[in-house]
Amino acid sequence: MTKHDLIIRIAGEGGEGIISAGDMITQACARAGLDVYTFKTFPAEIKGGYAMYQLRASSERLYNQGDSFDVLCAFNGEAYDLNHTRLQPGTVLVYDSPGGDFEPDIPEGVHAYPIPMTATAKDLKSPRAKNMVALGALSQLFDIPEASLREVIAAKFARKGDTVVQANLTAFAQGRALAAAQTKTDAYAVEHAKEKRDVVVMSGNHAIGLGALIAGLDFYSAYPITPATEIAQYVARHLPKRGGTLIQAEDEIASISQVVGASYAGKKAMTATSGPGLSLMSEMLGMAFMSETPCVVVDVQRGGPSTGLPTKHEQSDLFLAVHGSHGDAGRIVLAVESVQDCIGLTVQAFNLAEKYQVPVLLLSDGSLAFSTQTIPYPDPDSYQKVERKRWDGEGEYKRYAQTEDHISPMADPGTHGATHIATGLEHNELGMPNYTPANHEAMQAKRFGKLKDVVTDFPAAEIDGDGEAELGIIAWGSSIGVVREAVQRLRDEGRKVKGFYPKLLCPLPAGQFEAFGATCGRLLIPEVNYQGQLAHFVRAETSLRPESYTVCGGLPFTPGMIVRKVKEMLA
Amino acid sequence: MNAPHPVLHPQTHLHKVALQSKEYKDNVNPFWCPGCGHHGVLTSLLRALSEVGVDPNFLVNISGIGCSSRLPYFVKSYKMHTLHGRAGPVATGAQLARPDLAIVVSGGDGDGFSIGGGHMPHLARKNVNVTYVLMDNHVYGLTKCQASPTSRREMKTVTTPYGGVEEPLDPVLYMLTYGASYVAQSYAANAKLTTRLIKEGMEHKGFAFINVLSHCPTFNEVDDAKSFKEASDEVTAEHDVTDLDAAMHVVNMATRAGRIPTGLLYKVERPTLDERMAELVQRVGGHADYDLKQIIDLSRP
Ligand SMILES: Cc1ncc(C[n+]2csc(CCOP(=O)(O)OP(=O)(O)O)c2C)c(N)n1
Ligand code: SF4
Repeated sequence: MTKHDLIIRIAGEGGEGIISAGDMITQACARAGLDVYTFKTFPAEIKGGYAMYQLRASSERLYNQGDSFDVLCAFNGEAYDLNHTRLQPGTVLVYDSPGGDFEPDIPEGVHAYPIPMTATAKDLKSPRAKNMVALGALSQLFDIPEASLREVIAAKFARKGDTVVQANLTAFAQGRALAAAQTKTDAYAVEHAKEKRDVVVMSGNHAIGLGALIAGLDFYSAYPITPATEIAQYVARHLPKRGGTLIQAEDEIASISQVVGASYAGKKAMTATSGPGLSLMSEMLGMAFMSETPCVVVDVQRGGPSTGLPTKHEQSDLFLAVHGSHGDAGRIVLAVESVQDCIGLTVQAFNLAEKYQVPVLLLSDGSLAFSTQTIPYPDPDSYQKVERKRWDGEGEYKRYAQTEDHISPMADPGTHGATHIATGLEHNELGMPNYTPANHEAMQAKRFGKLKDVVTDFPAAEIDGDGEAELGIIAWGSSIGVVREAVQRLRDEGRKVKGFYPKLLCPLPAGQFEAFGATCGRLLIPEVNYQGQLAHFVRAETSLRPESYTVCGGLPFTPGMIVRKVKEMLA
Repeated sequence: MNAPHPVLHPQTHLHKVALQSKEYKDNVNPFWCPGCGHHGVLTSLLRALSEVGVDPNFLVNISGIGCSSRLPYFVKSYKMHTLHGRAGPVATGAQLARPDLAIVVSGGDGDGFSIGGGHMPHLARKNVNVTYVLMDNHVYGLTKCQASPTSRREMKTVTTPYGGVEEPLDPVLYMLTYGASYVAQSYAANAKLTTRLIKEGMEHKGFAFINVLSHCPTFNEVDDAKSFKEASDEVTAEHDVTDLDAAMHVVNMATRAGRIPTGLLYKVERPTLDERMAELVQRVGGHADYDLKQIIDLSRP
């Protein structure tokens, strides 16, 4: 298999420009027509701490952050210490020397390029341009398009004036010269793109914000929490341009309450949070189900339980998303795979909420939140947008009228002749409290009856591969992208494996799971959580008996991990 | 649905009709105990609605959970019976979504100042344009006689069988401190004053808080209709309602003397949250037809 991609990891102290250097390479590669997939870890601390930016660039389509880096660019000793075990023979180390804070013993077979990053920046009297020296060196060594990088640097510092732009470009040029003076011993280089494509580069969080704007969002209530805050940040900047409202609430209970109030008033409304916030919202989610009030809640999952690992990746809120609220409280749960999905599934979340008058939860995760990816330029007009069914003014208005499809027309305040109550108490068709056994059963049947059609309404889960397979892998969320590549590699090695990639997790499309399972000898569900949460639901709702592969170290799976696991199972 | 944002100075009572107070009564009979103060609050509210002349089709009554929070069922209007303590933020969302609606929040002292206490400062400081009628009976009624944050210490309840161990808080003093732009107090049996304060509260542009001492003959034996009436002193014509210090002073002096200050305590005009939002949208030149591609273009590499 020819290698198309290059993976560069830049690591050092937060505040040294690690993230911005990485972003610039990403932008430059995207401009040059390459596919880029990035992965970042931030320090949980406000200042300092270890920061890492890994970017994978390729002329082929990318689905995940890859296994491990080909090139490590270490800004300091800590970055080297944390990564040196992954410096396998054949990999490359670019590091700050002489003049840095460490002098590594270069492992056998590793190509090493010492670049005096700190010292050069100091000599140029722009100590903050250390990252530009590194950027120049990387650009020279791995053929990262120089012209694009220069454009990106100029654009990035334009606001700070010409002097700053020039200083950074000088540091960049110096970095290139320093690298050019060394003998290149490795063969890594960024591929050249086959064609220029019309793309945008977005993070998962920003893409969710964009999806909401496309869906016709009117009202957003925010409460800050890592790793979801950038959704609010994006919406706060752009929603007022569309005449909409973003407000910061006093807590997540208030956020979801405001969303329900705004939705009752007839608007498309949402909030986004992470696990701790979703825990607080669970009572109001039940009210939204009971009162049949559409709303969209995004949960960008992080490591739990409790305050947990706030900046780390995990897929451990599925139980909470599906069942978090007392009583039998239904909802729709979707999970995104990629930045592309963050747009499309957010639009779908609104459409489903409006159509079925239920809360829709959209699960993203810590690595997708900050992962920037190149995606085709999204055409806002290409998305279908659904509005809630509104009363036609005929006859007596019954807010909770029993209908064939169980969906009762809504009426915005201001509609003449349709005054009614939205209530969390069990009620009859008119909304009046009614606790008789017959009524409660009829109304629960109505509310859950609506959800029956969701499984057929929503696009069927993608099946990767045909015919019979020795092993089928079922994945959800951002693990799907990892499994796609693992399945491909295993197939290239002649293994009979298939993948199944559901995005609708509640109601669970059990029939689709069964049909997939019937074509596979064994089933594996890899998830980044301790309990095997999707596997639990699959065992409960289907006759399948999948095997679980769970990790919860705060990091996503890599394709290599899945490949190893499958080989182990099929050995 | 991206409706064009409403006019810059949205007033809650754009939609007027001429209806008698009984025409605001919905055809559900109040479920309250006979003699409950909440009946009186409802009567005053219905009268105030008639005097304001608000169109029931553009009125939203929003409540939490408690005996008092059942009030919306009895008023002809759009309405939401939400969760214990959450009426305030639900109303905030509805008001911001539709600034042309008239919104009345109602609920008890437990609902507003215990479980919902965290929302109160924010309704006040944000100046959310709603009218909040707190039906303060110094006890938890619906759950059958437990201490509330406004219960007198000596009161015996299910959870304080030997008398309480905590001091009560004073809702009006809190709302003054939190920055409410309209703060008033009355008692349920005084329909005339209560009606006037609710009406003026609805006409006030901004967050209007009216604490109505409402007796619970079933579970609160220490505060009855008579004791509320006898302890009340209505503020005099000399009281300067625009002076926050004076308002706090009146409340503090009354409390010290074991009295209840009633009437309009404080009222000031300042921009409401929805006005500021509308102004922000105008400042950025926002409109429903703003081309999304202009936003998407910002993410081109
Ligand atoms: C989350 C939650 N906790 C507790 C309750 C139980 N509960 C219902 S009403 C109420 C207190 C009612 O007192 P108050 O708000 O003062 O109103 P009142 O009944 O006296 O008018 C409580 C504790 C609830 N409904 N929800
Ligand atoms: S219990 Fe008290 S507050 Fe509740 S209805 Fe009866 S008298 Fe009124």
